[in-house]
Amino acid sequence: MELAIRIFSMAIAAIFVQNFVLARFLGLCPYIGVSKKLDSALGMGMAVIFVMTLASTFTWLIQHFLLIPLQMEFLQTIAFILTIASLVQFVEMVIQKTAPALYKALGVFLPLITTNCAVLGVAILNVQEEYTFFGAILNGLFAGIGFTLVLVLMAGIRERMDKAEVPEAMKGMPIAMIIAGGMALAFLGFAGLQF
Amino acid sequence: MKYYLKLGFVLFMIAAIASGILAYINGVTLPKIQESEKQAQNSARKNVLPNASFFEKDSLEVKLEKDNNPLKIQQEADTAWFEFYRGYDDSKNLVGYTFQAAKYGYSSEVRTMVGLDKDMKINKIEIVSQAETPGLGAKCVEPSFAKKYVGLSKEQLLVDKDGGTIKSITGATISTRAITESIKSAVETLSANIAPSAQGGNDE
Amino acid sequence: MSNFKEFTKGLVKENPVFVMALGLCPTLGVTSSVANGIGMGLAATFVLVMANIIISLIKDLIPTKVRIPAYIVVIASFVTIVDMVMHAYLPALYKSLGLFIPLIVVNCIILGRAEAFAGKNKVIPSIFDGLGMGLGFTLALVVIASVREFLGNGTLLGIQIMPSSYQPMLIAILAPGAFLVMGFLMAILNMLKKK
Repeated sequence: MELAIRIFSMAIAAIFVQNFVLARFLGLCPYIGVSKKLDSALGMGMAVIFVMTLASTFTWLIQHFLLIPLQMEFLQTIAFILTIASLVQFVEMVIQKTAPALYKALGVFLPLITTNCAVLGVAILNVQEEYTFFGAILNGLFAGIGFTLVLVLMAGIRERMDKAEVPEAMKGMPIAMIIAGGMALAFLGFAGLQF
Repeated sequence: MKYYLKLGFVLFMIAAIASGILAYINGVTLPKIQESEKQAQNSARKNVLPNASFFEKDSLEVKLEKDNNPLKIQQEADTAWFEFYRGYDDSKNLVGYTFQAAKYGYSSEVRTMVGLDKDMKINKIEIVSQAETPGLGAKCVEPSFAKKYVGLSKEQLLVDKDGGTIKSITGATISTRAITESIKSAVETLSANIAPSAQGGNDE
Repeated sequence: MSNFKEFTKGLVKENPVFVMALGLCPTLGVTSSVANGIGMGLAATFVLVMANIIISLIKDLIPTKVRIPAYIVVIASFVTIVDMVMHAYLPALYKSLGLFIPLIVVNCIILGRAEAFAGKNKVIPSIFDGLGMGLGFTLALVVIASVREFLGNGTLLGIQIMPSSYQPMLIAILAPGAFLVMGFLMAILNMLKKK
């Protein structure tokens, strides 16, 4: 029971209170870049959840079974980003071979996930917060869900925005930012929420 | 096959050279980091208890507060060492105590160096490290903040919202509360284990 | 293009943040104070210039297939150097910038310039390109941070500018404010460009 509450608490924190995009400012490039259409947003979101969960897994293992025992924690940045880059490359190959239809839909987004600061960000945070292996995987999963949530919400709003009368200077990036600001304001309401 | 070997080799060489250089720089900066950490502590200590000319370190074994979060790596030990310093003047009279209180605030762990006089009342505090929100919690480093704590005894260490006299920073109740609570619990630990006007080390 | 032009293009015409919408995560994450903005900007510029130099020097030794991982290792190394040096000599700034220091490695500006420029050009032009882009990034950070710190705290670089009776717009320093300020600044730039 205690465990269930802790997991729930972590989920609320990662998805709402400290949302990776709106509160921590991680994952902004894809957030702004891929949120124009609902289906591409959903596709990217799914891919990110998958990569973030896997990345949390592997980076935790590398930190605890390689970097710490060999006292090479200073190589964390290099080790983590290489792990993530390899992971993305590998995931791309697997999807290409096993689900060509999915690859066609997601294909162009996958390489972008390497530079998604949310992925590297959650890997480093897992270490800083001293999560166990299980905790790290969960954190990666929830962070990804939080990212996908706001990405999809944003896409929904932007699709509507296309039909609205937006001032010329605001079209494109500026209005997207204002919308994001509005969403961040809404999510700010979760601040201090704790279980 | 030879092609892939070449790819792997090039990558390996770059990674190896990079690791070597980084290991070297790590060797240079790590001691510097520890050194400046120590210096910051020393100067903070002198700042919060200016009447002391020298300090003697001591420590208390205290029960480690665990949050028992199954998702976080737990410490194996049940106790931890609470380190503090006794400050003496030139005639070897006890002037007071100093210690570092720490607690997670809004977005970071806030560490405060606290100086107590002989009667366990706060002489002065200094925020040693924090990364709270600039303009809000980060305002705790301003002199006006530290002034709020001068002369308070452990019973008075409460934020206004909790019935005390310490007025929180506007919009930064969480930060203020964390700092206050960390100082309060440390003073309580110290006063529970040390007779207020004891001179010298432990009697045991 | 002359070296000077390589340098200036990064400042305004091809400003990485305002024109190319790259490097958004640190832009919104560290601009709550001008000091943080300058710190991050200069750190990123250092990594960008050094990485450009090394990549330009060894570009002919790297087989195309592994160039991205190779670039990543070079960039990550310099990021780690910046991390270690900052921790040792600028501890206060190090703590303020926090997670965003290692995240410099996934700053799309750096990998982007390595791929688009340093990997294809000689060393000297690469240095100028790196300097221009890096300083353009810094400029963008300072502009945004100035607005946020001024409105949200009444100060600039910690110096009180507004009279003490000024009630700061706290929202400017908090997460939503970052998005809103960014949106309005981009809109203003769009208006200026039309003229």
